[in-house]
Amino acid sequence: MSSGLGPASEVEGPKQEPVTVSIGTEPGAPSDVELITAIQAGDADALSHLYDRYSGILKALILRIIHNDTEADDLLQEVFLEIWNQAKNFSAEKGKPLGWMVTLTRRRSIDALRKKQAYARAEERLQAEPERQPLAWVQNTTAEEITAGDTRALMAKVISSLPEAQQQVIDLAFFRGMSQREIAAHTNIPLGTVKTRLELGLKKIYDSLKELKDEL
Amino acid sequence: MSFEEFQNSARLYVIGALEPDELQNFEASRKKYGAAAEDFINQCYSLHEAFALSLKPAKASAAIKDRLMSMVRERSNRQSGSAPSA
Repeated sequence: MSSGLGPASEVEGPKQEPVTVSIGTEPGAPSDVELITAIQAGDADALSHLYDRYSGILKALILRIIHNDTEADDLLQEVFLEIWNQAKNFSAEKGKPLGWMVTLTRRRSIDALRKKQAYARAEERLQAEPERQPLAWVQNTTAEEITAGDTRALMAKVISSLPEAQQQVIDLAFFRGMSQREIAAHTNIPLGTVKTRLELGLKKIYDSLKELKDEL
Repeated sequence: MSFEEFQNSARLYVIGALEPDELQNFEASRKKYGAAAEDFINQCYSLHEAFALSLKPAKASAAIKDRLMSMVRERSNRQSGSAPSA
């Protein structure tokens, strides 16, 4: 079971910096934490600013999960209302605002996918383009974008560097909220293989994020 | 579970991909490793940001923002007790 090293010797060391790579903001613009702090104090303009900064990213995430533009708009509104209502629960010590918002958005989107039985409709759409599915995640990334240091392109580059088999299982787990067993059933891949692919893929992305952070 | 095994499980945990039996072992190890475990889990949430940031931003409707801000300002006014002017 254990590697032989005790817990203390395995985990000691300086506290690591979060590996987050955030999007750039204009000089002088309030930081994400400042905006959330203002929202906690009831400042609606701060929410408006946060919406302008992140609605595109969060809507893309919602669309990636539910594949329906009208439902995505409704969900986006619900997400920002939840950000407004739950901002008091955000703690900067536990992570970055974007990570918190993405986690919240993903959870709501996957809930909606299940509740509204949009799953079947999304399935139909996905089946219409099965061979594009893994790569659709990271399409439209050009060498120019990567050279320019665009965050999206960097993230897409990290993910697209994974073998397609690993991209596929991560895609099903993250964007469709499937468990390992569900992925195994959906893809006809043995459960152990699904687990290995998920672990390897996620570790590669995590390690790449750490390297990216050092470079930026 | 070694800390390396815990780290592998943590990355699955943050995307909700642990099976129920794995979740039990994970929670036990989480207690065992304490603050180091919590720090690592928090770092793993950066994966969420990475997946979201890998997507091409979608155009959000201006009407949605107007409706949202109207609702928020109305709630804000109600909570502060200052009724909107007639």
